[in-house]
Amino acid sequence: MKIYISGLYSGTNPQPGIGIARSLRKAYPDATLVGIEYSNRCSGIHWTDLDEMWLQRPWEELNLEAYAADIKEVLDGGALWISGVDLEIMWLASVFPEGHKNLLTPSTAALQKISKPAVEAHVGLPVSIPEYISTERSDWELHAFCRQHGWKVWLKGPYYEAVRTHGWDVFERVRTLLSRAWSTERLFLQTHVTGYEESVCFSAYQGELIHCVYMRKRELTEEGKTWAGDVTQVPDEFVAPLRRIVKELNWTGGAELEMVRDMGGRLWLLECNPRFPAWIYGGTIAGHNLPALLVERATGVPAKTESEVCEEFTRVVLEIPVRAQFPLPSLPEPFPGGIGHSMKHPSGTLALAERLHKLHIIDNGTNGNGHNGGSTNNAEAPVVPSTFIDDLKAYNFAEMETPSWLFLESTASELFKRAANVASTLTTPALTVTNAYSLKTNPDERLLVMAREAGFLAEAISLLEVQKALKTGFRPDQIVLNGPGKWWPEGLLPTEPIHAVFCDSIPDLKRVVASIERKELQAKIVGVRLRTPTVGSRFGIPVDTTDDLRRLVDAIALLPRDCAFGVHFHMASSNIGVGQWWHLFESVLRWCRSIETLSKRQIECLDVGGGWFPDDWHKDSGDQFALAIERARSFLPFVKQVISEPGKAMAQPSMAVAMRLLEFEESAEEDVTEAVVDGSIAELPMHFFQPHRILRQDKQTGEWQTLKHGKTHLLGRLCMEHDVVASNVELPEGARPGDVLVFCDAGAYDRSMSYVFGRG
Amino acid sequence: MSLAEDKIEFDETDFVDTGAAIQKWEHFPVSTISHHGAQCCLIAREWVLSMDYSQLNASNPLTGPRWIRQKYTWGPSTWPIHWCEAVEQKTLDCGALAAISQEVLVARGVKSYHAQFIQQYTEDATRQWTKKWNTDAALHWVKEDLIYHEGCAVVVRDNEIRLWDPSAGWWVNPKQSGGYGSMLALRIYAPQVNSATEFIWGTRRIFPNQWQKIERARGDFAVAAAGK
Repeated sequence: MKIYISGLYSGTNPQPGIGIARSLRKAYPDATLVGIEYSNRCSGIHWTDLDEMWLQRPWEELNLEAYAADIKEVLDGGALWISGVDLEIMWLASVFPEGHKNLLTPSTAALQKISKPAVEAHVGLPVSIPEYISTERSDWELHAFCRQHGWKVWLKGPYYEAVRTHGWDVFERVRTLLSRAWSTERLFLQTHVTGYEESVCFSAYQGELIHCVYMRKRELTEEGKTWAGDVTQVPDEFVAPLRRIVKELNWTGGAELEMVRDMGGRLWLLECNPRFPAWIYGGTIAGHNLPALLVERATGVPAKTESEVCEEFTRVVLEIPVRAQFPLPSLPEPFPGGIGHSMKHPSGTLALAERLHKLHIIDNGTNGNGHNGGSTNNAEAPVVPSTFIDDLKAYNFAEMETPSWLFLESTASELFKRAANVASTLTTPALTVTNAYSLKTNPDERLLVMAREAGFLAEAISLLEVQKALKTGFRPDQIVLNGPGKWWPEGLLPTEPIHAVFCDSIPDLKRVVASIERKELQAKIVGVRLRTPTVGSRFGIPVDTTDDLRRLVDAIALLPRDCAFGVHFHMASSNIGVGQWWHLFESVLRWCRSIETLSKRQIECLDVGGGWFPDDWHKDSGDQFALAIERARSFLPFVKQVISEPGKAMAQPSMAVAMRLLEFEESAEEDVTEAVVDGSIAELPMHFFQPHRILRQDKQTGEWQTLKHGKTHLLGRLCMEHDVVASNVELPEGARPGDVLVFCDAGAYDRSMSYVFGRG
Repeated sequence: MSLAEDKIEFDETDFVDTGAAIQKWEHFPVSTISHHGAQCCLIAREWVLSMDYSQLNASNPLTGPRWIRQKYTWGPSTWPIHWCEAVEQKTLDCGALAAISQEVLVARGVKSYHAQFIQQYTEDATRQWTKKWNTDAALHWVKEDLIYHEGCAVVVRDNEIRLWDPSAGWWVNPKQSGGYGSMLALRIYAPQVNSATEFIWGTRRIFPNQWQKIERARGDFAVAAAGK
């Protein structure tokens, strides 16, 4: 009996070939085991259980046709082939579309049903698929997905590799790298599931489930790969549907279902690998030699049964002699100034992916992303509210000097009306809900007037901002003063009572107390800003230790009794994610209850908010707000006012920036990859943190179109390396230098933090 | 060490006198944190409970409160210990860690009970712990290579429980196969529940308020093979 085994890489993220060879050697001591590898740099080629090595040239060099013929000859000659490389399995499935009785790998049809992230075949198994989104969707949607999942997301390649992307800038950078590496735009973002990693490994032949085992990882490498585990029986409720699925897929070969069990005990399926896992010898140690059972079923030759049973296994590091005929290759020269020797994927896996793409063997739109194959751009353009388009009609772009700020009046007006309506709906006789407009978000007078008219309070972080609010018609008793530098500059504090002041530190609280005693400051509400533990912030009073809490409680006792007491909590939900924000809100309620209990001061005002992304605040949040008010009342029965500060949710959609295309190189064969505009990051400083929807007016129809996801980078006018105002967009057909592009969603910190640069 | 002799396997744990250990710790009460009934303990307790919710980080309430062990090194505590004293310590013993964990789990709305364990280590380990406790006298929680330990029995659904070991920061494997660190006996302290109540831990039935020996589990596959 001769068995060919591939996938011999044996680093810290090993392939299964060595485990398969060890398992088969136990069951078939006299079999000839032939190792197949595509690089003499893979240490597994030296493993002693392998009788022979069939070393191929790396995938980038291999003549696939000739190699396929060689493999056919091997299989026709009676040898078996067990592959440990996903891409090789995909290629072999295309080489042998009808299968081969000695090729112990699944068919293309079966592979398509298990492609990630959807793993279509999982239906019936007691598992769920973590939420995911294809990177072919618009950046606007991808950013929303990340916010929704608190930026606990992984950007995953179509076959291998997953990188945690905890911010928009990281996401953009990793997307570019993975797309280049795997020659595809079809990546996906998937939400992280915290829990314990578990696997089901099975062996099947022509649709019959031969055997399966359950493995829980008990030690992991830094990359999260198995280092030790225990192997047990697969529960009956899993086996029954698995048997049906194997039959439906007519599966042949090994496979592994990789899962995470969350803290509530729910199982999440991350992926299904079409091969035995690298820990397969752990199953053999447990007395269940799945590779041998596969060979036994395929050949009818009985495997030697195991007598040794231990359900737990672990790995160790071994030094072994190098085969004389394959001496170690030299180390490649480090690139000048580089770190390390750049030796990833020595067998040319990336090159194989690229070749299989070109041959249309892989990435044909069956990975659950919901898009068809081919080179057509199937990306959907992000949608903009109709008020954006209505507002743009007020501008004459032909005459407009660019870059130029555009105020979207009806858009802004709608937002303030809606916010006022939400506050009014949530207000009850016992509790008033009041909105507050954060001046720093955008101090444009038009927005301040709208805010005032919509019943907002004005939230200021400096006395200059207080004066600005007063100038635009806010009364002193409509001012909320907050932040660490709120007394700057001196001498501008109104003499009349303001609505509320929140202290950012204990010294600040003592200063406020002294100011009130000297009658310099009058405020209806005096309170503290809380810095909640576990979320990094430089603002507010910490409660990280019992001493911190004691100091806070003692300081609250100093506050005058004739002022109402309040607590202020702000954290940018767009940074920490929507779910995390609501958890923080709940957490703050608990801290407030503790403070109330300990200080014996009733909390009458709760000021919450900050940094809401407009879509998160304006859409589908009504029920959540109502629940939040209910929770606030249940934790803090004396609360009479909740001040809600939506932050950029009000200002961001209210302005856009018009820029002109300056130049780009057109080519009939290739997409435009770079175009220069007359705007810059000086006008769009938030580009690194959020995407902007970009509109272009069709010259023929006058219709405004949103730019789709594509391959073009829009470079700013500045001689600054990082001045890129948009990445991965598609310039519409017919775009010309001189065309105006409107960057929406620029009304918040893009506007207020924009700066004059490069204008002479 | 396992000795294979004529296909009959023996294991050191087969010769452990768990009964004597149970007798030694039969009347050991579960640990609780005392309260001065004053602001000092009120602040400390409120801080622990609010901090636990912050540390939960939007995760499932059944998540083990590992942050407590991260904050406090495992080591000797002076008993009785009050809330205001406990939170100020750098080290806490297993009883204090378990008592605090029990309080935070219950505050989360999770059903949890004090749990007492008898575990086997080695005499080398227990000798080292005796040194760590800075005493030449025998430690009350050590008996040769066995130790008394505390944790929490957390109800995850119906009467199914998981055992949280707050000193280790992990859930105890319900499949106990003997050896270093294995659990030999368990008592769930739940005076409020009916004595006929059965908790399910893995495949075991556990009755409250009584020490129960934890038999060594046989391998799944061995069980399956024996059943055939």
